[in-house]
Amino acid sequence: MNQLLQQLVNGLSIGSVYALMAVGYSLVYSIMNFSNFAHGGVIMLGAYFGFFGLTLLKLPFAAAFILASVGTAVLATLIERVAYKPLRDRKAPFLYFIISAMGASILLENVVIATIGPTFRTYPEIFAREPIALGSLAIGRLDLIMFFVSAFCLACLILFIDKTRIGKAIQASAYNMKACALMGVNTDLVVLIVFALGGFLAGIAGVFFGMKYTVYPQIGNITTKSFIAAVFGGLGSLPGAVIGSVLLGVIETLVAGYLSSQFRDLIAFVILIGVLIVRPTGIMGKTAEDKA
Amino acid sequence: MRMRALLCSLLIAAVALVGCAGGQKVDTIKVGWFGALTGDQAVWGENELNTVKMLFEEYNAKGGIEVGGKKYKLEVIGYDNKGDAQEAVNVTKRLTGQDKVVAILGPNASGNAIPIAPILEAAKVPDIATVATNPKVTVMDGKVKPYNFRVCFIDPYQGAVAAGYAFDRLGARKAAILYDVSDDYSQGLREFFKASFTKKGGQIVADESFNAGDVDFRPQLAKIKAANPDVIFMPYFFKEVALSANQARELGITQVLLGGDGWPSEQLISMGGKAVEGCYFVNHLDYADPAVADYKARYKAKYGKDTELNGFLVHDAVLMLVDALKRAGKVDGEAVAKALTTTDIQGITGRIKIGADTHNPEGKDAAILKIVNGQYVFQEKYAAN
Repeated sequence: MNQLLQQLVNGLSIGSVYALMAVGYSLVYSIMNFSNFAHGGVIMLGAYFGFFGLTLLKLPFAAAFILASVGTAVLATLIERVAYKPLRDRKAPFLYFIISAMGASILLENVVIATIGPTFRTYPEIFAREPIALGSLAIGRLDLIMFFVSAFCLACLILFIDKTRIGKAIQASAYNMKACALMGVNTDLVVLIVFALGGFLAGIAGVFFGMKYTVYPQIGNITTKSFIAAVFGGLGSLPGAVIGSVLLGVIETLVAGYLSSQFRDLIAFVILIGVLIVRPTGIMGKTAEDKA
Repeated sequence: MRMRALLCSLLIAAVALVGCAGGQKVDTIKVGWFGALTGDQAVWGENELNTVKMLFEEYNAKGGIEVGGKKYKLEVIGYDNKGDAQEAVNVTKRLTGQDKVVAILGPNASGNAIPIAPILEAAKVPDIATVATNPKVTVMDGKVKPYNFRVCFIDPYQGAVAAGYAFDRLGARKAAILYDVSDDYSQGLREFFKASFTKKGGQIVADESFNAGDVDFRPQLAKIKAANPDVIFMPYFFKEVALSANQARELGITQVLLGGDGWPSEQLISMGGKAVEGCYFVNHLDYADPAVADYKARYKAKYGKDTELNGFLVHDAVLMLVDALKRAGKVDGEAVAKALTTTDIQGITGRIKIGADTHNPEGKDAAILKIVNGQYVFQEKYAAN
């Protein structure tokens, strides 16, 4: 029983990292209908921004955190301007967006390898490693903070999209971008805001990821899993991305803990495929009427 | 008019030819190196290549080496295989086919050293692996591979040393293992640890695995914690060691962790910190050994940072190669491979006497090191029985 609880806690903590990354995919997908594979690269740079903020600039933790998120928000909008805007202007097929995104992702990884170096780096220890003990249950301090910050950010994002005028514009653009533009909404700005939001969350995810698992140029590869989680939850739906991520984290840990750590990915993904066969749009996936 | 043009061009060609032959130049011996210069193990690859470059420069500064009565300069051609087995095959093809090297140094990883054998055999170019400890690197299905050599001891030995030390010296009776299922090195160590530990009368209470690229080991560790072992064997590389050690401590696992030669690295200490304090690992050498002091100082002076474990072994691989070249008396891969089979030199990591039917250095002692206050403290030279 204790082990089961511990495994659930572990699964939640892994899932919350996936969730922060997955919402970035979902946000962009909801507006632009393509999977922004450059997102992994942005998360990776977020981890580096935070790392250098803490070590080189010797910023306090909160400042480094904000620096990283603002940095990645700017970076994500830059990528939109350079890699996607020219394609949007030319009304290129969506396949081209995906290829452009992959190009951007490979570029970011290699620029980091060439300039910062290929080896991994370690964040300074900010939160004590000693876990909080609840009986025989151990909960990492960082995990706890991560969980609450992630939940807070995701709640803010959902509120922002539901309650503000910009949020309404995002929802409307997700529904039909052309009609929205005809109604006088500056859809170009909406796209930029969406990328900035996704980038901001990517920065937070990057810093947390770096603190937990070190910083290295291939962090982007991990985001494959969060992308799958986003698909699982229903690409284009924010709550779906969160639920998909948490479920993926928990399924993974339970499979590794009780069935076989060797076949963890195999079994976890067979379950996911099973779900997608029954519900091709993912758990929370909806039709075009109510995306975002 | 035509005739004249032809004469002219002939003249030019002749001048060009004379110009080539007349140029005073010392022949060079091209030596290949490959390893990971990007990815998790880039720290080691960079360290190896730097060491080879430094040693070759030192030889060249002394006028090069004499082979068959003629002086040669040494040149290294280094390629990055990103720690990838497929890429290892590609760069070996390039080194043997395009660059025509006489021998290859590296790689450090068993998984990368094993698949290159057919290419070496076809090209008749010997390879000296540095820290590739899996038996299959030099011997496959009971037959020695004619062009594969190594400078380090092998996994059965390392796994047996770790198991023997855990059972006899640390008094462990129940052991848990966490290993990387996608890595030949990790699997080899796990297999031989398991065999030796159970043979001694110990019990393996948990045997868990993960995949390359994984960063979270808590599900496996929670399972290990529930099995309550005396010691946890972690036969993989420092990055995963540091991550898994930290996560183990976060889960409240207090047991001693034990590892192999994948552990030692500056990064293990900076990243693992308190989590690896008091833990033990099997290593190729004792860092405080006077025999290695000179190389350590030269490396630090040239590159401004400390050498890693790999540097010591590639250092001895270079000694092996130079010795074999001199004894072969000609710059020819086949002759060098033949000379390598009778190597018996004193390296900085110990005596290297290559076994003719194993191509491994026979009877090299292992060193047991303990991490105390962030330092590697030599415990004893330990030979498995």
